[in-house]
Amino acid sequence: MIGIEDCLSEAMAIPGALGAILVDHTSGTALAMEGLPDPERSAIGLSETFRATLDGLALSSPDGTVRIDDLIITTDHGYQLIKPMETMWDGPLLICLRLDRDRANLALARRRLDNISHELIAS
Amino acid sequence: MPIDDVLSELAESGATGALKAGRSGTVYLSKGRVCYVECARTPTVEELLTATGRLTLSGMRTARQTAAATADGGDMLVRRGVLSRGELQLCVLGATLDASFFLFGANVPKPKFREGDRHWLGIHWFFDVPGLFRECHRRRARLDRAWPSAELDSRPVVPVRRIRAQHVVLTALQWEILLNADAETTPAELAKRIGRPAYPTLLAVREMAAAGLLECPEPPPPEKPPDLPKRVAGAAPRATAGGGDGRRARSSYPEISGDPTDVNLLIRLRNALEAFQ
Repeated sequence: MIGIEDCLSEAMAIPGALGAILVDHTSGTALAMEGLPDPERSAIGLSETFRATLDGLALSSPDGTVRIDDLIITTDHGYQLIKPMETMWDGPLLICLRLDRDRANLALARRRLDNISHELIAS
Repeated sequence: MPIDDVLSELAESGATGALKAGRSGTVYLSKGRVCYVECARTPTVEELLTATGRLTLSGMRTARQTAAATADGGDMLVRRGVLSRGELQLCVLGATLDASFFLFGANVPKPKFREGDRHWLGIHWFFDVPGLFRECHRRRARLDRAWPSAELDSRPVVPVRRIRAQHVVLTALQWEILLNADAETTPAELAKRIGRPAYPTLLAVREMAAAGLLECPEPPPPEKPPDLPKRVAGAAPRATAGGGDGRRARSSYPEISGDPTDVNLLIRLRNALEAFQ
């Protein structure tokens, strides 16, 4: 069982991690961050990315409803991992991790991020 | 006196205690930093935990009485396994941001500061006061971008009987709001009923209004496109002298419909692109 700050430092300890941020998805608020130059802008951008993906997938999926487990975006510089975490009283929180393309092991990072989110939110 | 001024003074002097804003709410400070805010219009941590069934009302009352003197109720709840450390921090963080948005900026007749008063849950997160003001400002701007009118904020939420679109995509929160909207309940009351923070609920209501899903008193005036920068004489060559009233230059842009959904989409696209440079 870990707190918000431990959650971020554990995320930053994942090999290849360049930056990590915890975002409140509904309001686009940056709750806690490490290694990001402009967290407020990142928070807005990442929550909009997540939302656009949800909307787009909902339209394209045969049954019309979507639950995203995590989102992996590969860019020319690296990877961006976005993982939603459900809390009981609020919309999803997003834990987002930016990874270096050369140093990161995507499968490992994804697994570690999953563990971290379960440690932060026990439910 | 605006509560913001009182709060700024207390923050500068490094005060510890509770600032009571009459019946509107309370701000808890520790060494000049805010650690928790309660507002009568938003669900408190207690209300969020009971609304989601983590604790019963009587369980919450007992916990509060037990921890009233020591002010370590949060730690006690974590020890008992009611919620995890991370969940407690997130709950306090979310409730504080939510309450601040509705409490700050209000004029309070006689705010009273009680030195040394602590909340029974204890301290689980810190906010610096200017940062909290900045976040409230950002949230206000976000709300106005979604739907630039405050008229719906205090009116009952009334879904339209029939929509013009053929297909609608809803978020989980929007779904809950529509299910609970009975044409009598305002967004703030709905938030308390479904056990969700008030700001996201209000934002979802404004977004649904922009998408044409709610009955609205009248459409707000479309956002005025920003004026083009003033031309400086001789700054750049102009094809026809004397015809520079700016109208021709503007006509080369695509038409903006003024439909709030279009404007919204453009703003969201811009934000996403800016963040992903």
